[in-house]
Amino acid sequence: MSGVVEKMRASRKVLAEYNYEPAQIERGYAGKTLYINLSNKNIISKDVTQQMKDIFIGGKGFGLWYLWNAVKPDTKWNDPENEIIISPGPISGITQYPGSGKSLVVTLSPLTDSIMDSNVGGFFGPYFKFSGWDALEIQGKADKDVVVFIDGDNGRVTIEEVDLDPSASHLLSDQLTELMAESEQGRKNVSVVSSGSGAEHTRIGVLNFSFYDLRRKAARLKQAGRGGIGTVFRDKKLAALVVKFSGLSGKSNNPADPAKIARTGVKITREINKFDDTQFRMRQIGTANLMTPMNDYDLLPVHNFKYGSHKDAVGISSEVLRSRFTQKMPDGCWVGCALSCCKAVDDFVPKTGPFKGEKVIVDGPEYENAAGLGANCGIFDADYVIEANFYCDTYGIDTISTGTIIAFIMECYEKGIVNKKITGGLELNFGNAEAAMELIHQMGQGRGFGNIAGQGVRRLKKIFAEEYGGDPAFMQDIGMENKGLEYSQYQAKESLAQQGGYALTNKGPQHDEAWLIFMDMVNNQLPTFEKKAEALHYFPMFRTWFGLQGLCKLPWNDIIPESNATSESPEKIPEHVQNYVDIFNAVTGKSIDQDEMIRQSERVYNFQRVFNLRMGFGTRKHDAAPYRGLGPVTEEEYESRQERYDKQLKEDVGINPEGMSTAEKVAAMRSYRQGRYETLIDVVYKRRGWNENGVPKLEHLKELGIDFPEVVEVVKKHL
Amino acid sequence: MITVNGKQIEWEENLTVDRVLKTMNYSFPKIVVRVNGKVVEQKMWSAYKVPNDAEVQAHHLIAGG
Repeated sequence: MSGVVEKMRASRKVLAEYNYEPAQIERGYAGKTLYINLSNKNIISKDVTQQMKDIFIGGKGFGLWYLWNAVKPDTKWNDPENEIIISPGPISGITQYPGSGKSLVVTLSPLTDSIMDSNVGGFFGPYFKFSGWDALEIQGKADKDVVVFIDGDNGRVTIEEVDLDPSASHLLSDQLTELMAESEQGRKNVSVVSSGSGAEHTRIGVLNFSFYDLRRKAARLKQAGRGGIGTVFRDKKLAALVVKFSGLSGKSNNPADPAKIARTGVKITREINKFDDTQFRMRQIGTANLMTPMNDYDLLPVHNFKYGSHKDAVGISSEVLRSRFTQKMPDGCWVGCALSCCKAVDDFVPKTGPFKGEKVIVDGPEYENAAGLGANCGIFDADYVIEANFYCDTYGIDTISTGTIIAFIMECYEKGIVNKKITGGLELNFGNAEAAMELIHQMGQGRGFGNIAGQGVRRLKKIFAEEYGGDPAFMQDIGMENKGLEYSQYQAKESLAQQGGYALTNKGPQHDEAWLIFMDMVNNQLPTFEKKAEALHYFPMFRTWFGLQGLCKLPWNDIIPESNATSESPEKIPEHVQNYVDIFNAVTGKSIDQDEMIRQSERVYNFQRVFNLRMGFGTRKHDAAPYRGLGPVTEEEYESRQERYDKQLKEDVGINPEGMSTAEKVAAMRSYRQGRYETLIDVVYKRRGWNENGVPKLEHLKELGIDFPEVVEVVKKHL
Repeated sequence: MITVNGKQIEWEENLTVDRVLKTMNYSFPKIVVRVNGKVVEQKMWSAYKVPNDAEVQAHHLIAGG
């Protein structure tokens, strides 16, 4: 045992203890949830009701329901009554089908002030469920840093003070894994949830969920990344959650029909083995496979989403990143995942920061990291991307928001809105990797200009306007946030459907609701507003379903079955949709079909929309998009793709661009594109059963069976 | 003229699927091509002649985020 861990063990002081008989899992559910109050150290067990299972299913649904009951309309993210809820969902934990080890985390966000949800891998969710719990509610705030230990082997939950350093998540995860395991072999049975010092100093804190890697003898990390959940975690003085469960088997989820799950799992595993090497190469490159095609199709965000490609992007291409991944074997974040998208750079030696000169393991980089931290900031250096990725993770800050924040600041710097004096000497021009890295350290350590940057784009716009005289209208145009959440890393200017896929969302512009760029822009499968609206109904609902069950999206469409080529709706991957229906039925013993699957999501999706209303959000004005997300803001953007835009003015808008100045053309294009976006909103709202202000209609809620009195009361105020 | 994903491009003698994709700058490796509704397998792209007035669908099976 290492000296640090020995010291931690000796320092453990139990503040509260709860002993329980772990519930037997029955058809994917434990039937119990665990509530922990950090203020009064109360620990209790709650029953899962049939209504919860029927209406909210699990995962995000359970999280929303518990949060709804915990908070009031005026609750703020840092009020003690705000909760962090982690729920794995009924399918989570099966080992026969890839991507089945996810958890969903729900809280009030310090970025959006409204409801946030994030989908995360790692071992915590399944181990927690098999320890006897369908959800974990954390409420209240501790006085000092505490750790919650959940021992599923012995039925014991404790809140403890431990002498530890919570600033570096990769170290803390390793240390707590060692502390909780009874042997080196037993470390695979432990999972840690932690954050890092960056979560204490910014609004973009993440939660790192660990999965122990026996080959590397280290705890690897997956992130619940969006919306500052880690910031809430550290505000509650929670240093870590630790779970131990040693009895994992293929039967742990105790499904109704294990043979059917096995058959379905064998089928897709064969597909992966047969096709992955010639399709997306998830096993070789993971999501970084997107870097090259995104640049080729002008979809890679460059210079704060001004452009979609760059000549230097080859420096962080899919193949360059692939060459940096050190493992040459399948690597997944949950047991049995044949898609194995996890990638790592072993023995990486950072050139800067507190781990300068030390060998570390970097989980990634994934597409979002390379696109956001790299291309969007004009930095096309793989070493920089890997180091920035490492520090974001261990400081516990969101790589996506970090990339979009730094890109926004860089544009403001180049426009003279901020200068060296304001940034504390950082020359934040696009492409300045040294300055960007220093800013990440400042955000992670709560120093200098990093304290301002870590507030996120929405608050930066206000600060830059009020304190430095920046033009609010210009910053509104170029500040890539919606609802307070920073955009993820896709250039959507040429896809109206994806513009809606980003901004017509419940939590903000994360691509996990809908990713329609190729369907819309390249394949032209959505030529009318009605078709776009149908896609903006179906895909958000379908993808919400993963979050109810504890599933990963990747095995749905990052591997394509042979049947797809002749399918009527290839974009839906119908064979895989049916796989999910089959698995749900095989786990729960129910008998749903594909329509009911979408209905399950619709209930939760609309409930979340009403929850947003209850918290003072969720109407049309909150679905507005920054114009940078819809079209060219500046003359330089227009002129960089002048041929494309001139053609559109002529053929789509009906204006002859000859003789017009660039400024006139930018204005004409803006008027056209904004008009189309407003029309899209109208058609999408109608398809979703909402009124023109984005409020779900009462008859729609009734039809969905979520017209509870408290829901109706909220909605009536907006009708 | 032929139509590719709703956009018109010039037709020429001996126009192959490969040539159409190159003209459109479609470099993505996983595309399902249909010519007048019929799937053309990738191994036939260099030989298959696209007739004039054809409607070509080149669906990129890219998974994205």
